[in-house]
Amino acid sequence: MSSKADKSAIFFVIAALFLFFVGGTLTTAVAPLVDKSWTKPFENNDPAKGPTGKLRPYTPQELKGRQIYTREGCWYCHTQQTRTLLADTKRSGWRGVDSPISTPDEFVYDDPHMFGTKRTGPDLSRVGGKYDSQWHRTHFRNPRDLVPGSIMPPFPWIANNEAEFQALTAYLQTLGRAKNWRPENDFEK
Amino acid sequence: MSAISAAQPEQMSVAAKSAAADSIHQDTTAKLFLLSSITYFFIVGVIALMIAAKFVWPGLMGNSPFLTYGRLRPLHVNGMLFGWLLAADMGLTYYLVPRLCGVKLWSEKLGIATAVLWNGIILGAVVTLLAGMNQGFEYGELILPLDVAVVVAWVMFGTNIFMTIATRKYEQMYVSLWYTMGCILWTAFVYLTGNFAVLFTSGVNQANLNWMYVHNAVGLIFTPIGLSLAYYFIPKSANAPLHSHKLSMVGFWSLAFVYVWTGAHHMIHGPISQWLQTIAIVFSVMLIIPVWAVVYNFFATMKGQWHQMRDNIPLKFLMSGVVFYLLTCFQGPMHSLRSVNAIVSKTDWIPGHAHMAVLGAFSFFAIAGAYYILPRLYRTKLYSDALANWSYWLFMIGGLGFFVTLWLGGLWQGWQWNNPAIPFIDTVVALTPVWIVRFFSGILMFGGIAAFLYNVMATVIGAKDNPQAAA
Repeated sequence: MSSKADKSAIFFVIAALFLFFVGGTLTTAVAPLVDKSWTKPFENNDPAKGPTGKLRPYTPQELKGRQIYTREGCWYCHTQQTRTLLADTKRSGWRGVDSPISTPDEFVYDDPHMFGTKRTGPDLSRVGGKYDSQWHRTHFRNPRDLVPGSIMPPFPWIANNEAEFQALTAYLQTLGRAKNWRPENDFEK
Repeated sequence: MSAISAAQPEQMSVAAKSAAADSIHQDTTAKLFLLSSITYFFIVGVIALMIAAKFVWPGLMGNSPFLTYGRLRPLHVNGMLFGWLLAADMGLTYYLVPRLCGVKLWSEKLGIATAVLWNGIILGAVVTLLAGMNQGFEYGELILPLDVAVVVAWVMFGTNIFMTIATRKYEQMYVSLWYTMGCILWTAFVYLTGNFAVLFTSGVNQANLNWMYVHNAVGLIFTPIGLSLAYYFIPKSANAPLHSHKLSMVGFWSLAFVYVWTGAHHMIHGPISQWLQTIAIVFSVMLIIPVWAVVYNFFATMKGQWHQMRDNIPLKFLMSGVVFYLLTCFQGPMHSLRSVNAIVSKTDWIPGHAHMAVLGAFSFFAIAGAYYILPRLYRTKLYSDALANWSYWLFMIGGLGFFVTLWLGGLWQGWQWNNPAIPFIDTVVALTPVWIVRFFSGILMFGGIAAFLYNVMATVIGAKDNPQAAA
């Protein structure tokens, strides 16, 4: 086969595309057809099956906050996935309670997805409800005022823009909240 | 040409003819692409230093939205990938494809138009990314109109190259031509997936398409076009025949089959189906086949020729690039193993790995190609061999400083993360020395870029005063 592809460009093109499309199709187009959890929003009412809760679509304000998160490139340094690693469930946990792992059905409404590839700052997949608005405002103005040693850039143009600040905070407070994993729902606003 | 084709008696005649026919080539497109890409290499190098500095001095230039880390990082990544490396690779391809086919480039006018459009895309990317117009996909940040322009430019490039190959004088196609054609075909689909198909999906489904693109931007764009250059320039620079034509076939066809399966290895342990992670891991490990076939071929080609490394500058870049290629492609499969991934994934190890691929391997190939063809394009001598040698050592020492410190730092960071008793902020503070070394390594690499740019520009400007028959 390969010696024929050596001499015939047409044969070459067909062979190169065929080999590419085998893996290309099976891993991208077929995969979501096999695993329905990629597209079905999370919903669980049975505590025996793990944390209960329901994933709801974002409000217009939260979507605006999401756009700001995308625009400023927050996702270059903050991942949004509690992986199947013990340490991740501890680090995403809060006040001694471990976080449940992230599952595909929690991200159905995420467009663009914000899973991230680099964790320069902490993971944010369960940050919703951990810190109140006042904390976030101070933190955006200068992160080092609250977290000495932090290398996050300051975002004064967000902290000083009420509409943008409210939208971004509203979005952050939704993160990881589809699953009711915190005892007595002690979420900050 | 005889160097490359000595293994192929059939192509021996190709050699003699094409050397005589060298004057048929106009090469305007190659020149435009090369000179603009090397200029972007320098400009984006400044951006690279700025973001490296922000890790050490986070408040630096912090109050301007346009100069914040989150906007400069995509500019650095897109600028280096598309402004420098891909454009340089395209420029070198416009040079070598006509020579391997023994004919003129199909349309020099179309080539010039492609170069102009490509420069327009890069300028558009600078403006939109600084303005925060970011689609939110890694490597796919550019807004839709620019994505469309990239597709148009790619079709123009592909048409020109395929038409040149279709009108070739020699029936047999050399390995470099396969890799070039493979790159053009696969890129078309990989780019469409990463920049258009993602728009119709969300969540994990979208992430899977996004990482199919991210992974294959390296694996099916930069790898084949980079190897095309290496297959051409290593035998040419060393003046030695390629070791094995058969082995190069093994390398090419296994790459064509194996690479595309591995996108999900960006989400090992993450919220994506376990079976898909396993498939990605299996195929990631199989990547060793196309890589080792290629690397063995290059090393065997160099047998008895290593002494040339002393003063042959393109060869220094090429063979160092091959070693980096071997290392980075050994790391990749290892990262995908679940146990290793649990330590290194998401840490600073990963930029160390990524920079070794894009800078250490593929940029080294492109730099070697530029040093090799510039004197031939302008029918002159390189302005300064000593300066070129300096650029090599600055890239080499700066690069190693960058890669090795980030690996060590990333490994350390990964172990710390896996001990939840250590507060996250302590793992950030612990990496400060690593980021300081990275910044100063970056200054060395930038010195390499500056020396490279100066040498290239001085060669071009001095070409008229210093005419010499092209080799």
